Amino acid sequence: MAHENSPGGVGNLVTLDGDSIRNATSGMDLAQRIEGRLAYATDQRDLSGLLYGAILRSACAHALITRVDISKALEMPGVHAVIKANDVPGLNCFGIVIRDQPVFCDERVRYEGDAIAAVAADTPEQARAALDAIEVDYQPLPVVSDAALAEQQTALHNSHEKHGGSNLLARETLECGDLDDAFSRCAVIVEHHYQTPRQMHAFMETEGGVAIPDGKGGVLFRVGCQSGHRDAEQLADILGVAHEQVTVESTVTGGAFGGKDELTVQPAAGLLALKTGRPVMIHLDRFESCRTGMKRHPVSVKMTTGCDAEGRLLAHKAEAILDTGAYASLGPAVLENYLDHATAPLYRIEAYRVSGRLVYTNNGVCGAFRGFGGNQATFAVESQLDELAHGLGIEPAALRRINLRSPGDAGSRNQTVRWTAPPAGVLAAAVASPLWSRPDTDTGRWLTGTGMAMGAQGNGLGDGLPDSGGGRISLSPAGRICVEFGFSDYGQNIVESIIRSVCNGVGCREADVEVLLGSSRGPDSGPTSASRSTVLVHGVLASILPRWMDVVRGHASRVSGHPEEGLAFGPGGVFFNGRQVLSYRELAESASPDEMAASASQDFPVAPDSGQPVGRYLQLQIATVARVAVDRLTGRVRVTDLHHVTAAGRVIYPPGYLGQIEGAAVMGQGMALTEDMTTRDGSYLADNLDQYLIPTFHDAPLQRVDVLDDTPEDDPFPVRGVGELGIEAVAPAITAAIEAATGVRVRRLPVDPGDLLVAMAAKEQTL
Amino acid sequence: MSDHYQVPETPAQENISFELNGEAVTRSAPSGETLLDILRESGQITSARAGCRVGRCGACQVLLDGRAVPSCLVMAWQLPGHHVETVEGLNKDPDFLSVRDALASESALQCGYCTPGFAVSLVAGIRQRRQGSTVDLTESVAGNLCRCTGYGGLRRAIDQLSAPGYPDEADGQGASLSEEQ
Repeated sequence: MAHENSPGGVGNLVTLDGDSIRNATSGMDLAQRIEGRLAYATDQRDLSGLLYGAILRSACAHALITRVDISKALEMPGVHAVIKANDVPGLNCFGIVIRDQPVFCDERVRYEGDAIAAVAADTPEQARAALDAIEVDYQPLPVVSDAALAEQQTALHNSHEKHGGSNLLARETLECGDLDDAFSRCAVIVEHHYQTPRQMHAFMETEGGVAIPDGKGGVLFRVGCQSGHRDAEQLADILGVAHEQVTVESTVTGGAFGGKDELTVQPAAGLLALKTGRPVMIHLDRFESCRTGMKRHPVSVKMTTGCDAEGRLLAHKAEAILDTGAYASLGPAVLENYLDHATAPLYRIEAYRVSGRLVYTNNGVCGAFRGFGGNQATFAVESQLDELAHGLGIEPAALRRINLRSPGDAGSRNQTVRWTAPPAGVLAAAVASPLWSRPDTDTGRWLTGTGMAMGAQGNGLGDGLPDSGGGRISLSPAGRICVEFGFSDYGQNIVESIIRSVCNGVGCREADVEVLLGSSRGPDSGPTSASRSTVLVHGVLASILPRWMDVVRGHASRVSGHPEEGLAFGPGGVFFNGRQVLSYRELAESASPDEMAASASQDFPVAPDSGQPVGRYLQLQIATVARVAVDRLTGRVRVTDLHHVTAAGRVIYPPGYLGQIEGAAVMGQGMALTEDMTTRDGSYLADNLDQYLIPTFHDAPLQRVDVLDDTPEDDPFPVRGVGELGIEAVAPAITAAIEAATGVRVRRLPVDPGDLLVAMAAKEQTL
Repeated sequence: MSDHYQVPETPAQENISFELNGEAVTRSAPSGETLLDILRESGQITSARAGCRVGRCGACQVLLDGRAVPSCLVMAWQLPGHHVETVEGLNKDPDFLSVRDALASESALQCGYCTPGFAVSLVAGIRQRRQGSTVDLTESVAGNLCRCTGYGGLRRAIDQLSAPGYPDEADGQGASLSEEQ
């Protein structure tokens, strides 16, 4: 690792680069993945009697259903079952918070991804052919496609009592101070509209998996998902069976990013498995995945922000509209996190009022997506700060320096927060980035520029939501230290992170550790989301490892005859006076597995404040410096470099930390430059990866990640989750760099090259 | 949807013979079936994966007579007389082992769903270089998408594989990753 003193003498700044991560892993798990030997949920073809399922989706974005006739489909070759709404024995609905999404629609469809029926057949082709033979009559309803008008239009959920039959699903306001008074004292006030896109997760493995009936009314699901326990509860309710009869194994999932947080293929696969008594696989193709899958909430916001003549932020107001699509999913929680970030949590502001409205439309369904509303808000907030700096005639970094919170300050919602480094240190390191001293070149065709933005990100579900997680450690019969958590492995390096923590805590080798994840039969760790798993893994292991080691040491003492005090854990077994006296296998053979196990569950750390907790306690920060080149000919933007400075506690597993920041950043670049699932009359205009453009190798910038780790020695939560941090500040850093290159400030994402060209031409005329 | 629905005719199965990972195989399939489906239906090949089925994402990349192609765009009728290689058949290939070690040591993957496709593309690029081509390995992965990593580890792995003399002067046996125990 390259060490350097950070500018201003703040903290330990370490660059995570190839040298610091190379061979940091045994590579066992990685080699299996590279060789294609790891079985993903959609790889399970070797099940005897396997049938293939397919789901009939709505032909309309908004309509009443007047008839569904499956009789012809039942006669089709190879078909074993065709099911629709009246074949659902339990609840015909699901949803993590509000169960408002039907498994199968029977009265009304509210988006093009709505399911109406499903088929199980011997081959995928036969299943698809049978779908075409299902007859559905629709009576079209007006399509609600503009979120700004949604509240005045036909209500999608007329039984929605809470809002009196309007499309307003939720509204929320966060405020502090006397806003009118604060605005009246401002020297500069800026007011702008910002818009962010309906980004698609675009995980490489589309939604899929198998449901396997146990012959006694129960079902085992092997499926890509993010919360085995929660899914098992919902599925039991749908299947109309006892919770114990449903097991969910989230196996290895090929990417999720929030997009597999809700149930996807599970209800249809489970119902078909029970109906036919045979295992049923459903694997959505990309077209169906695009059409049905959740997206990031598009947000349209008007933001008004003011400061005094010295640059002190006084007043800040935001009015946002979030389009949640046809069903609630996690929309209300996304709204909360959006508003939390819209308060500009890194900065002291005398008074603010940020409010948002979450509306139903017929534009697909929006839900959890890495950043969870936060990065949409940060884009607008950071842009506003740049505008204020320009208005005052000072450097954007200077304006931030004046207003950044210090360690010890309360958070923006007056909650206690815990940083792992002073925000000023993160800013100082970003200001010292070598990208700033690279000369801006105007080659005639390419204009280059550098810009930056900052972001804060909290860990955990927040706002007093139930948030706990457990884990278990035992010695397997084969003599391996077996660690179990309920989290799903979808590529976030959680396995390596657990192995590293266990090796550090016990003193064993990587080969001594076995990690079992993602089964609803194992410990309930809560959802794999909200950057919470790393914190909980570390916390639970810190609690159970010493207890488990005491138990094992006591047992080893009885078996070996050596006193407990002299026994030490090491590679392969337990040692006395530097000599191995018992291997882990010998220890395992000398006792039953349950004798040498320990488990614990703990609540996610929340602010130790009185009353209902608000906001998030464990806070991370990032500053991202972007360098771009803008093509004067086409208006296309190339991001050539991204330099991140992060403060997120200690680094447990360097390759994972680096990979999370780099991966999230490129995802943020996609949102800034190319990605938007636009709809027309409720229909998506893109249906595959040749139209919806995610960044390729050649679009990806060179990146550098510097970690500022000033975590106090006595910090009880020294390890934080960084899965979402990297996306937080990328988009506003890119638009700041575009402004440095062209003089044009883009406030609508993704950047439209045509609009940018027009604005650049107008700018050149006025010069 | 209409009252005029006709049951589609099931396409005729044909015996398709080709070489798969060095062995002659014959598969029964309609002539328009994709190589990707033919490979996956056997159950033995899982490294080629459906990502987009339009040739954009590269998750189904295989070698066809040594060239990297998306198997979702190759039809059964095109296969006779040709040799298909997948990661399952490359396990002892020194170029593949170099690629595997570079990807693993640089942590160039997260969920891993796209990774065998990247590996196939890189093996093809290295083979082209062996035959005197000056192809830039970054061009070999232009047809592969990864959503997890942001390509940082892949860039570092490609730098490693592009170093002068690599992989011939390096330990290409993959010993560092061979199974323990």
